[in-house]
Amino acid sequence: MVRTRETVAESVAALIRKRSAAGELISATEIADSWQDEYLASSPDKEGSGEDMEGILTRLVHENKDLHKLSSAGSPCFYSDLHMTAAYAQIALYKQEGPLQLIAETVRLNSSEYQRPVALDIFTQPPFNLEYDQICDCLSIMTTMAGYGDIVTTSSSASKIYLYSTVHLDGEHAAMLAEWIDVGQAHNP
Amino acid sequence: MSGYGGWAGKVLRIDLSTGRIWTEDTVEQYKDYLGGTGIGYKVMWDEVPVGTKPYDPENRIIFAVGPLAGTGAPCNGRTAITTLWPTCWPVPLVASGHMGGQFAAKLKYAGYDAVVIQGKALRPVWLMIADQKVEIHDARRIWGQGIRGATAAITEIMGLDAVIAAIGPAGENLVPMSVVISSVSHSAGGIGSVMGSKNFKAIGVRGTGSIRIAGKREDWEKLINYHLSLLGANNQHVVPNSPQPWAEFYDPATRWNASRGRRWGAAGHLVDTGTCAPHETNRIAYRSNMAAFFLGDNAWQHTVRGSGCTSCPIRCHTILKVPTVAAKYGIPTVGQNTCVGFLFGRSFFKEFSDGPKGMTALEACMVGMHLSDDLGIWCNYMQLQRDFMKLYYDGVIEKKLGSREFNSYSWSKYEQGDPAFLFELLPRIAGKEGELGTVLGLGTGYMLERWGLSEEEWGKDKDLSYWKMGHPKHHGSEEAGQCGLLINLMYNRDAQCHSHTNFLRNGLPLPVQKKLAAELWGAPEAVDGLGDYQPMHPAKSRMAKWSLLRKELHDSLSLCNWMGPWVASPLRERGYRGDDSIESMLYRLATGDDKNRMELDKVGERIFLLHRALTIRGMGTKEMRDRHDRIPAWVFADKAGKAPFTKGTTRLDRDDVQVALDMFYDELGWDRATGAPTHETYRKFGLDDVASSLAKNNLLPP
Repeated sequence: MVRTRETVAESVAALIRKRSAAGELISATEIADSWQDEYLASSPDKEGSGEDMEGILTRLVHENKDLHKLSSAGSPCFYSDLHMTAAYAQIALYKQEGPLQLIAETVRLNSSEYQRPVALDIFTQPPFNLEYDQICDCLSIMTTMAGYGDIVTTSSSASKIYLYSTVHLDGEHAAMLAEWIDVGQAHNP
Repeated sequence: MSGYGGWAGKVLRIDLSTGRIWTEDTVEQYKDYLGGTGIGYKVMWDEVPVGTKPYDPENRIIFAVGPLAGTGAPCNGRTAITTLWPTCWPVPLVASGHMGGQFAAKLKYAGYDAVVIQGKALRPVWLMIADQKVEIHDARRIWGQGIRGATAAITEIMGLDAVIAAIGPAGENLVPMSVVISSVSHSAGGIGSVMGSKNFKAIGVRGTGSIRIAGKREDWEKLINYHLSLLGANNQHVVPNSPQPWAEFYDPATRWNASRGRRWGAAGHLVDTGTCAPHETNRIAYRSNMAAFFLGDNAWQHTVRGSGCTSCPIRCHTILKVPTVAAKYGIPTVGQNTCVGFLFGRSFFKEFSDGPKGMTALEACMVGMHLSDDLGIWCNYMQLQRDFMKLYYDGVIEKKLGSREFNSYSWSKYEQGDPAFLFELLPRIAGKEGELGTVLGLGTGYMLERWGLSEEEWGKDKDLSYWKMGHPKHHGSEEAGQCGLLINLMYNRDAQCHSHTNFLRNGLPLPVQKKLAAELWGAPEAVDGLGDYQPMHPAKSRMAKWSLLRKELHDSLSLCNWMGPWVASPLRERGYRGDDSIESMLYRLATGDDKNRMELDKVGERIFLLHRALTIRGMGTKEMRDRHDRIPAWVFADKAGKAPFTKGTTRLDRDDVQVALDMFYDELGWDRATGAPTHETYRKFGLDDVASSLAKNNLLPP
């Protein structure tokens, strides 16, 4: 089968949407690995177009309102908002960037946007899926590594640990909210 | 009966003293009060003389449902039961309990909108309603049986398609802290002993009729589908509790706890709850697992499935299977409940050997459910458990009981968190055995009085959650600021209002809530962040009034105020707006009575006014502000001494609360000085006769 730029573009868009439907981002590198060779080998008009896979992806995002590009430290990632919100895509991106970033940015978002601390154990649940020891190691690293000084803990009277960012949440407010979330609301069902 | 749809058409009247059975026309007599609590308050006003006590034959028990019960409207399974409340202290006053299940629909299908019970039978009886056939039956063979046994015995007579609402030994023994339960797990607190005082064990209902919908079938179906599209999870939480690909927001505190990988582990085959996106309206039933929400993740593996009320896709009851309890405690391995029903057993204990959400806690829940739902004991929104714990750990129980009675309890078992302790305690409450069993069954106010303890002191301890008149807060100031406070002042038991809390806890970020609040109540200041309360604002009093009127409307239409209102939705494309007109749209199409939202709200306000009038008449004073609308001291305290309106405290300011009361009374057309509705306000809502009657007894403000 002869591939043209257009059929490749359609296939790439379909791949992005498929991955989003599965709750996953797809990186430009992965897309290129899947399609670029075939495209370059078979596209009859490749000489004239001068458009590489990066160009196709740029055009796809421009022409398809549901497709979005997320910049990251590595290869940029893509998703379709038909199946995935920007908020979820951001979590998926942080996940790719490693547990330190995932925990810190999630805590910061919860403290700023929602004005709440988050229980440490939510990071053991989907979509975070970190091991408990892994989380503890990250928290330990955060206490010494620059850039994470705002991430601190508080705990409820039932000894459940919560995380919050001191940039966005006052310590006493965070402690009160942690107590409410873990203990108080159970008494107010 | 007129040409209206919705209503079944008749109110069934039963006089247990004489055995007389008759009916009234619902629309002729009660249309202006809709149904449910509306009918309940109207009957209480018209028929129960001032000075009547809860256990007097003159007291009425009104089981009433509304024009939406038994229709296809979502969440229409509530039955309101109104009577003089035996735990209301120091004077019993009017109040309502509410049970879900299938009773409301069956009653309508049998042809009735309400059953009003009066008098007292000479010997134990139960009432059989099988469509037009209504009979009072001898209940001596089932008197003394638990609720499950009584339900089974009556089911054997009436058939499997009958629904039974019964009391247990607690109700029979006139324990004020008792319930009536339908379909063995849907309870209404506070009612049991009033039924017991009438020698009235149970009602069995079999109905084979149907409810006529006045509007066009296609319009009705369209409206139902629209309503379903706005539904969230339990308590109308509209945001999932973990990040989902479809969701813009999440909140670990919501009850939308379905997710891919979370499974009903004790179902016949593993059922994965999946992502349950908002537009998948056929999967609403998977969104909430209340056992997991209340008891912890451990409950997932014991979940058989969800259960619930007629026409309600939420399924807030969860059926649990816990095999270990059979051998350990000799109780059935399967049980179902929701909310405080789950927490009943666990909440007696300070701690368990394997933690607050371990296996022992789960077993305590199973034991608690088994005993309380069979004996028919009410927990008064867990005030029973909080009182018990305080009395024990403060040494009051040891001091008040003789050593013989005190030593008859295995207190070491209790302190170790052994669920077996409940087998010692709960049957004695139901049987009024000993001083402890008796006093715990009285309800907080009468308990404190009997033991010479101070209600004021009880109101200083925030951890006790005690509010006033023998009852606790129910979504009060600590989670809803001034709005929650105002709502909790209004009733003669715990408020049971969820309109405000279902909005505040829906999971949407505060800026989104504020945007919706501005549309609904005129200003974003209607809502504050939790623990970041701001001074009183007129929009807060409008929100409080709206919350109360929605509650009364729901209780009168048979809609569930635990699930609604539906003013927020999970739909991003609507900016998370719900629809404040759902109730009136459903009412109009079902009945054919062409009322819009504001007109139906006026009916809700009439019903609420009548409740206030009943309270004023019952107390014999118009000084509601000082004598009824009382606030416990803990509302104005903070353990760390933080000032009101600073982040991190739920403490409110005394002067600000007085401003809140002024604004709220103004909003309702009530007199600021007394907190009593004015004659003009009664007249405006068609209650001129009520005002005139109050005026004769100097119960109207000047």
